[in-house]
Amino acid sequence: MSLFGTSAGFGTGGTGVFGSTTTDSHNPMKDVEVTSPPDDSISCLAFSPPTMPGNFLIGGSWANDVRCWEVQDNGQTVPKAQQMHTGPVLDVCWSDDGSKVFTASCDKTAKMWDLNSNQAMQIAQHDGPIKSIHWIKAPNYSCIMTGSWDKTLKFWDTRSPNPMMSLQMPERCYCADVVYPMAVVATAERGLIVYQLENQPSEFRRIDSPLKHQHRCVAIFKDKQNKPTGFALGSIEGRVAIHYINPPNPAKDNFTFKCHRSNGTNTATPQDIYAVNAISFHPVHGTLATVGSDGRFSFWDKDARTKLKTSEQLDQPITACCFNNNGNIFAYASSYDWSKVRVRLYSLLCAERDKNTLSEINKTTS
Amino acid sequence: MGRKKKKQMKPWCWYCNRDFDDEKILIQHQKAKHFKCHICHKKLYTGPGLAIHCMQVHKETIDGVPNAIPGRVDIELEIYGMEGIPEKDMQERRRTLEQKSQESQKKKQNNQEDSDEEDDDDEAGPSFQHPAAAQPQAAYTAPMGQPGMPPVAGAPGMPPGGYQGMPPMMPGVPPMMHGMPPAMPGMPPGMMPMGGMMPPMMPGMPGMPPGMPPHMAPRPGMPPMAQPPAAGAMPSRPAAPAAQPAVTKPLFPSAAQMGSDTPSSSAAVSSPPADPQSASSQPPYFNTPQAQQSASGTAASSSHSTAASTDPPKATFPAYTQPSASSSSSSSSSSSNPSSSTVAKPPATVTSKPATLTTSSATSKLIHPDEDISLEERKAQLPRYQRLIPRAGQAHPAAPPVAAVGGMMPPQQGMPPQQPGMRHPMHGQYGAPPQGMPSYMPGGMPPYGQGPPMVPPYQGGPPMGMRPPVMSPAGRY
Repeated sequence: MSLFGTSAGFGTGGTGVFGSTTTDSHNPMKDVEVTSPPDDSISCLAFSPPTMPGNFLIGGSWANDVRCWEVQDNGQTVPKAQQMHTGPVLDVCWSDDGSKVFTASCDKTAKMWDLNSNQAMQIAQHDGPIKSIHWIKAPNYSCIMTGSWDKTLKFWDTRSPNPMMSLQMPERCYCADVVYPMAVVATAERGLIVYQLENQPSEFRRIDSPLKHQHRCVAIFKDKQNKPTGFALGSIEGRVAIHYINPPNPAKDNFTFKCHRSNGTNTATPQDIYAVNAISFHPVHGTLATVGSDGRFSFWDKDARTKLKTSEQLDQPITACCFNNNGNIFAYASSYDWSKVRVRLYSLLCAERDKNTLSEINKTTS
Repeated sequence: MGRKKKKQMKPWCWYCNRDFDDEKILIQHQKAKHFKCHICHKKLYTGPGLAIHCMQVHKETIDGVPNAIPGRVDIELEIYGMEGIPEKDMQERRRTLEQKSQESQKKKQNNQEDSDEEDDDDEAGPSFQHPAAAQPQAAYTAPMGQPGMPPVAGAPGMPPGGYQGMPPMMPGVPPMMHGMPPAMPGMPPGMMPMGGMMPPMMPGMPGMPPGMPPHMAPRPGMPPMAQPPAAGAMPSRPAAPAAQPAVTKPLFPSAAQMGSDTPSSSAAVSSPPADPQSASSQPPYFNTPQAQQSASGTAASSSHSTAASTDPPKATFPAYTQPSASSSSSSSSSSSNPSSSTVAKPPATVTSKPATLTTSSATSKLIHPDEDISLEERKAQLPRYQRLIPRAGQAHPAAPPVAAVGGMMPPQQGMPPQQPGMRHPMHGQYGAPPQGMPSYMPGGMPPYGQGPPMVPPYQGGPPMGMRPPVMSPAGRY
């Protein structure tokens, strides 16, 4: 399905003028840099679902825009389209058929962007910035789930201005994930709620947080039967918790691991602990990727409980990441978030990780 | 078995009447439990050896063998493993063992067993054949009826299983705890201690231990029984399996089957599970090449604190037990420090004002602003992101003609939005590009609409290194 007209807008994708000499710490992994990146930090990334041919990447940024690129097989990216909000965009997601993109923004609205017509219309309204947006496709209904800093979780049928359902949360929504029939929302004050989405969404369980610090990102993982069975939760304290919903042995099955910390082996200097900004699971292998404010991304195997790979350090924090639908491409966004003093280029990089390489990575415990 | 020394079935400890698979393990047990100096923890080889050590080194006298059951505390008796046990006691034990096996045969032996973990029971004796299911065998309760006992009993049995997270070990135990009448044949480990501990219990007791061995003996080589901690863990054990419930709706059926490999549903395992906090504090795992350790991984990469130490038995919570590294900064949401410098390693003060975090400690530093709000909330408070909201509706200035799209109304050219310029749609608005965000003209931008006064002179955004304490604690958004 070809989207909107192609364009040749290739500007230089912001290469970094970089202080460092030999190693290009702007793109140390020599990954493909996406052209025409947004002008401000990228808050979220999403690849198109498998129902669409090709790989289209959507990125929302603090410049109030949402951009769409086509990522070709050779790794080259082609900017396709963009939409605007009136406030920074905090989250994006695709519909299951790949025809629509939903965007959530600090302007308290969420929009539905029809890619074919390149029109966007508002479909949701909150009393505060909307932090998360997800498409739910159930056998008997479909809707959008939005989590906001106004402490509510709302469900919208895109055709109506009123929510189908509104659930109160104990605190502001900080991150969420949906894999039908399960949804997880992590809130401020370390709140953690699991919802079940069969028939209609309802709160399933409130979980005591396995982490001691502010929640930052969450991603659901599936079991071998492809059913959601647990989630990975990241905090600002360089730690990720793997939590199963109904494990036979919680004490043994649930665990946490540290990540995104500066080299702490030298105990003379204090260890710097960075926030985990995003977690993404590989759709095929079930391995997970974490990106942090330390400017690195890492791949992990939660079943073998090992780290597979850590990237070189980028010069800026990595704020978002996403695998494409078959796991061949891993996209991550390096941009200023808070901790880095140098505010510079906002760029988007795509890493080709073909299946062979990944399975190879899986085999070696780096 | 021709050795006259060996008890008819398995090696057992004369001091506490516990059974073991192997004499080597028995000796290890004795050294750790009975022949260990309470002052310096040095392990001696015999009772008299311990007495002499304490006298010479610490100038203290010992009047009895530690952790021994009454009647077996004689420190002068030189017993090593199975050697030195008075013949009289040997015979008594043989008798009680026989008695016990008879009892167990009579009673139902079915569900007794300790789930899995049932070590192969080479027992000549009958009983306890199948691993105790570890279900509180109500039937046996009668004989014992010692409500108090279970807890104690459980302890000794626990350790072995507790450790190294051997799932098989534990299972039986917890259920046991619930006042499982020791008499139960095949009563998992728990029973054994009982036998040892409570002479009064006796009647069926002595017989029990023999059955225990299978359960007791963890894998050879494990520093089993020795660990007192296990005792502590015991009580919580029951909680673990109980907590399993998984009664939840059929919602995530797959999740329920999760650990299909574990033999029994309640593969309890080691420590304090029930507590959510601890549940999470499993070893950090994700080890890098080093630290392979035993099953438990441990040693997350770059965790200097955990990398060290974490001997398997205690490996359960390396992540959170390390006071340094994470946990230090973890007192989350406590600590005050009214903003002020953040990252720069301030001596994390205390006070405890909610909504702030302890961001630094002696060994680690949390790279995050002090306030306990999310990075996005903090960033959204910046003046530069607030000017836009009010203009909702109008093609906000920043959305220059270039960008083909524009706000809610998709009026514009719904068409190839892409224009070369697309790259800089925002420009005019912000004046200075990313660097030096100075000119923000706060101009009192009405915040996102809700109230948080926000505003104050923020100048110099985040990059400025958070100098101004002004980070407006005010409100979210």
